Amino acid sequence: MNDQLLPRLNAVFHDVFDDADMTITRDTTAQDVEAWDSLMHVTLLLNVEKAFQVKFSSSEISRLGRVGDLIDLIQARVSRN
Amino acid sequence: MILQKDIFSRASDLEKRGRTAEALDVLRDGLRCGRLDAEGIDRAGRMARRMILDGTTAAPPLRVLILGQCTTSWLVNAVTAVAWGRGVPAMVSEGGYDNILQDLDILSPGEGRPDIVALLPWSARLLAGGQPAEERIGVELAFWQQAWEAIRGRLGSRILQIGYDWVVPGAAGHSLAGRRDGEVGLVREMNAALREHLPAGGYFLDLEQASGMVGRASFYDMRRDYWTKQPFSEAGVCTLAEHLWAGVRALTSGPKKVLVLDLDNTLWGGVVGEVGPLGIAVGEGADGEAFRGFQRHVKNLADRGVVLAVASKNNPEDAREPFGANPDMVLKLDDFGAFEASWEPKGVTIARIAESLNLGLDSFVFFDDNPAEREQVRRALPEVEVPEVPEDPAEFARVLQAGLWFEATDLTREDRERAGQYAVERERREARQSYGTLDDYLRSLGMKADVRPVDDADLPRVVQLLSKTNQFNLTTRRHTRENLLGLIGRDRSIPLTFRMADRFGDYGLVGVVIGVPLADDPDRVVIDTWLMSCRVIGRTFERFMFGEFLGRCRELGYRGIIGEYTPTRKNGLVADLYERLGFGRLAPSGGDEMVRHALEVEGSARPETFVESMESARATP
Repeated sequence: MNDQLLPRLNAVFHDVFDDADMTITRDTTAQDVEAWDSLMHVTLLLNVEKAFQVKFSSSEISRLGRVGDLIDLIQARVSRN
Repeated sequence: MILQKDIFSRASDLEKRGRTAEALDVLRDGLRCGRLDAEGIDRAGRMARRMILDGTTAAPPLRVLILGQCTTSWLVNAVTAVAWGRGVPAMVSEGGYDNILQDLDILSPGEGRPDIVALLPWSARLLAGGQPAEERIGVELAFWQQAWEAIRGRLGSRILQIGYDWVVPGAAGHSLAGRRDGEVGLVREMNAALREHLPAGGYFLDLEQASGMVGRASFYDMRRDYWTKQPFSEAGVCTLAEHLWAGVRALTSGPKKVLVLDLDNTLWGGVVGEVGPLGIAVGEGADGEAFRGFQRHVKNLADRGVVLAVASKNNPEDAREPFGANPDMVLKLDDFGAFEASWEPKGVTIARIAESLNLGLDSFVFFDDNPAEREQVRRALPEVEVPEVPEDPAEFARVLQAGLWFEATDLTREDRERAGQYAVERERREARQSYGTLDDYLRSLGMKADVRPVDDADLPRVVQLLSKTNQFNLTTRRHTRENLLGLIGRDRSIPLTFRMADRFGDYGLVGVVIGVPLADDPDRVVIDTWLMSCRVIGRTFERFMFGEFLGRCRELGYRGIIGEYTPTRKNGLVADLYERLGFGRLAPSGGDEMVRHALEVEGSARPETFVESMESARATP
């Protein structure tokens, strides 16, 4: 299931960072992407919320380090819905 | 309908290949037609900003600096997007977080100074408590006055001051919050002080009002305040950007001056040419009330100085009649500075209105319920603002006001400055590539028609069209169902129905032609009835209809076609239709008003048209 989320999440990254060639893995972090600063992080999360029809809480946001964490969080939210 | 996804993939692709001017055009089209959601506007703003900063746009960009007591980065993108959607390449920049006076201090007048500085307060400090209310208002006001002095006095730029707002009424509760010592009361008093002291020529953006129109629950997203010190939701950022841009426009080119309106289904319900001046919906019933309410809003705009004009596809007499004859009409003929009713494309009539009023098209807003007309005007006259119009007339006034077209400062020296701005706009216009022709537009509609012999299922609709079509109706014969069955049943008759769809939607059954053999000359067919709905006038659809009819005549071995025209008060539009199709006019016979025309089938070609046939649906008559 988590593997199915990755391509969908990758598409959101393409849109947010305007880069259709970008490939993310569970281990990708903000350090790996030049444009991924703290403001773009919020833009990214808002786009993820829209794409997956979920809403994150403030405490969850601060715990996100790797793409894998984000996928787990989406997964938890989607299955709860 | 172009999707957001396609807009971005096209723009991204063009940008990557270095064709940034085209990429910007794609973004602009998407922004203009309201096709982007809040995320899309943010993204479009980021892309447009990158290309504008690279120097893609020819016109010198307007410089707008946003300084805030909160984070303003998203606002920068959104303002860039909104401005670009209105055709203005704006160079929008921001200062540091809550660093307003320091940022102003390092700016110098002259080359590169901002044209406009927008100041965005955030209420945290005002509402922090501690000192009594008057003291806090005094402290905040002194702060802004210092900023105003730097902007106006030292830099010579213009001030766009945004007001304070509240998110929740606070501890005093809803009932008491509005009192002087409540948080809402404090915000309002603060805003009143800003308004009062703002130097003349500045623009005050009333944030309390802007957020209230949208609703604070959706205007704000407090998570973002805690994440990044920026309290607005994505939708809130977009709304604020629109208000901010309206302020910039008020400070530079001034408010829009002319509101051009359609008539049928915009100012009243129904088609006046069909139902007459007393049959239109403008008072009675829920839809009539709604149209009347919209007329009242428009009337108020006229009273405050907006010039009204009409651009309607109608017979001139029909279009004018309700203003005098229908007592429910709020608007009267003398409320309009220009009145154009004809069958020409609206791009042409609006250009004529601009000439007659001697006002630039860039000060025009065009409001029409018909998406095809809006699209034609957008293409023909890119400087005219053409807002999307909702289907329900009850929404018209709100949507027109939400466009913020007529926001103004009470600037008194505006004439001189406005003239300068007009010159800049004109150069911009001339630099822009030539716009599409009417043919390009008609081609782009992708019109498809379905031609069938009249069948039982169509009969009720055909009888209805015969009874109510007045304008495009050559003979206005109101056949009954029985009459019609008699005509259809004749040997070698050609009874055809026409349906049309284009990329905006399906128009349904919009045309009928009925040909019957001439009693005394079976080699000739006479067109007993030819009518077409006014919804497809001006689309070359009649030429398509005739081409199809001609094809059937050939198949059935007819040698000649007789076309009859019986003038009525309503059908002047088609008086010369047969002559335009190559028919020769016959000498008058008998004492009636009917004009007869003849055409030989041999040697006649299908007229050119932009309508394509849906071959699959064709059946043999």
